[in-house]
Amino acid sequence: MTSEDKMVGQAAPPAHLAVRGIQKWFGGVHALRGVDFEVARGEVMALVGDNGAGKSTLMKVLAGAHLADDGTFLLDGKPVEVTSPNDATELGIQIVYQDLALCENLDVAANLSLGAESVKPGWGFLPRLLRPLDDLEMEVKAKKAIDRLEVRTLQSVRAKVGGLSGGQRQAIAIARAVGAESSVVMLDEPTAALGVAQTRQVLEVVKRLRETNHAVVYISHNMRDIFEVSDRITVLRHGTNVATYTTSETNPDEIVVAMTRGLDTENGNAA
Amino acid sequence: MQPEAKMTFLDRFSALRETQFGAFVPVLLALAAIWGYFGLVLPLIDLMSGEADSFRAIFLSPRNIYNLFMQSAVIATLAVGITIVLLLGDIDLSAAATAGVCAALLGVLVLSGVPGWLACIIVIFVGIIMGAAQGLLVAYVGIPSFVVTLAGLLGYQGLMQKILPTGNLNVGDPFVRGIARVLIPDLWGIVLGLAVVGLFAYANLRKQSLRKALGLEQDSAFALWGQVVAFSVIVVAVVLTLNAYRSLPLLLVLLIAITALLGWITTSTPYGRSLFAVGGNAESARRVGMKVKRIRVSAFAIVGLMAAIGGIFGASRYGSVSYTAFAGGSLLLEAIGAAVIGGTSLFGGRGSVWNAILGALVIGSLGNGLDLTGASAADKLMVSGAILLLAVAIDALSRPGNGSGR
Ligand SMILES: Nc1ncnc2c1ncn2[C@@H]1O[C@H](COP(=O)(O)OP(=O)(O)OP(=O)(O)O)[C@@H](O)[C@H]1O
Ligand SMILES: [Mg+2]
Repeated sequence: MTSEDKMVGQAAPPAHLAVRGIQKWFGGVHALRGVDFEVARGEVMALVGDNGAGKSTLMKVLAGAHLADDGTFLLDGKPVEVTSPNDATELGIQIVYQDLALCENLDVAANLSLGAESVKPGWGFLPRLLRPLDDLEMEVKAKKAIDRLEVRTLQSVRAKVGGLSGGQRQAIAIARAVGAESSVVMLDEPTAALGVAQTRQVLEVVKRLRETNHAVVYISHNMRDIFEVSDRITVLRHGTNVATYTTSETNPDEIVVAMTRGLDTENGNAA
Repeated sequence: MQPEAKMTFLDRFSALRETQFGAFVPVLLALAAIWGYFGLVLPLIDLMSGEADSFRAIFLSPRNIYNLFMQSAVIATLAVGITIVLLLGDIDLSAAATAGVCAALLGVLVLSGVPGWLACIIVIFVGIIMGAAQGLLVAYVGIPSFVVTLAGLLGYQGLMQKILPTGNLNVGDPFVRGIARVLIPDLWGIVLGLAVVGLFAYANLRKQSLRKALGLEQDSAFALWGQVVAFSVIVVAVVLTLNAYRSLPLLLVLLIAITALLGWITTSTPYGRSLFAVGGNAESARRVGMKVKRIRVSAFAIVGLMAAIGGIFGASRYGSVSYTAFAGGSLLLEAIGAAVIGGTSLFGGRGSVWNAILGALVIGSLGNGLDLTGASAADKLMVSGAILLLAVAIDALSRPGNGSGR
């Protein structure tokens, strides 16, 4: 992280995933006004901003859950299209949604492989949707994923998610994103419902993802966590970029000021 | 009757209810209660009060059980279909009217000389289209399924009257009639029953040993053998009872086979998983890349398919097609009632096609039992209403309290 620059878009590490000029309208609400964002492999990019700044919306756009009204996507410098969640998954983008996006009526194992269910081999003559599920394989995978996160209070991967605690659910959502094949993992306030020990686990997971050369996006309102885990920090305000900082060259006060007041002198709006 | 509603029973029952068989416990208890009342309690009261000179177990006689099953078959067919859309949190009010249109079309086709088998295929195709058309409106235009299928109910009722201006048509085609008339020889029925039991036991034991090999948690031996034994007893008892009167009718075998196929699809394929996921949280399902709209359309197409099959079964059993037997009668409410009494949630994400079959038996048994006791149509309606209300109340109470529903 050699960057000297607080301006948007001129980062030191070559970006793995980058978006430029993202616009998103919700009816009359202009939620993203030409946002630039990028994250490199082996880097944790923190994304901060006040409530309603547009962090989650930006993540959903990156994950294909929302369709951007305008803007371009670049993966390793090449333009790509992300118009559906499947596009994002295929590009190796995984996300932990702020609302977790779990199905409470399904059990832990089913939630962990939701949308990417294992099927038994040897039924190739059937369309994939109608091949027999490999329940046991999914349970084995689920157990591994849960063990990695050390969710010790979780008794069974066959428990329905509806009966779990908020923290356990969050752990499952994280396990789902982390367990999948991916190069980009985005976590939208993943520790909001977690206790101290669990938060530590998640931060360890994030560091491990960085070590395994993932590009990690980490959203949080907790400055201590952010300064512990991130390499760079992107600040959003009112749906626009304020600036991108190198974590080692800034401090929480500067970030809080940028979040709440923006840059007084110059305006980092790239739109 | 419903353990989920009571915290104190929760622990004891939850282990059982989590198993494949556990979800059937409430509806089986309901069925046992109804059969016990009409089959044992009422005759006993008659006997004691001197109204009858001997114990007359008419309700539980093989003949009545046979009729009961046949009477419930059409309701069950529709209920199985409706269960699929209920899993999504949608509803189909037009199923009975669709069945009526299909049955009427079938009657007209065979009357005009189309071979029975071909007419059946055409009618099934039409049913699928009728269902899918409604599904398209629900999924892509975004009209609530209640409204779309209410419109469908009215429109298809009218359509049936157009096809059958007289409101009644006899169906004599041997192929069509054969579905309800052909009986499986006694011995073959038993062989079939035992084969199914063997398969069920084998599948369960194999799964258990695989779980062991993979180091996964296992069902308790009690739950495992409990469901195998209970399943075997039920299958064998049904086959023997039917054999005691006539034999296993082809219609029931078809119904069970279709239900087994749909049951397998809903519980054991990615498609089935997506039905539950959409019913549980459609937005989550969308965000993990499931094609929610297509899934909706396909579910309505399946209702259409089952309605068409129900229409064929009905035409076959009655030997005629009449407006009141399908579109204009109580079939729709009975079918929805059956699905819900079976334990399928109106809020989506929970239920099973097998429960619909049992629910249909509950509805059928009520009607049959009340008929036998000479109850009036008014009594029947009121009792059915009360039972339905009870079932929905249980469903509402047993939802997870903080659940986001659909
Ligand atoms: N589905 C939606 N429909 C309409 N408006 C939306 C929707 N999602 C977000 N918005 C609006 O977009 C803006 C940005 O919301 P977003 O959820 O991205 O904020 P956020 O930065 O994640 O805030 P928080 O820290 O509270 O999670 C808000 O003004 C919000 O009201
Ligand atoms: Mg947010």
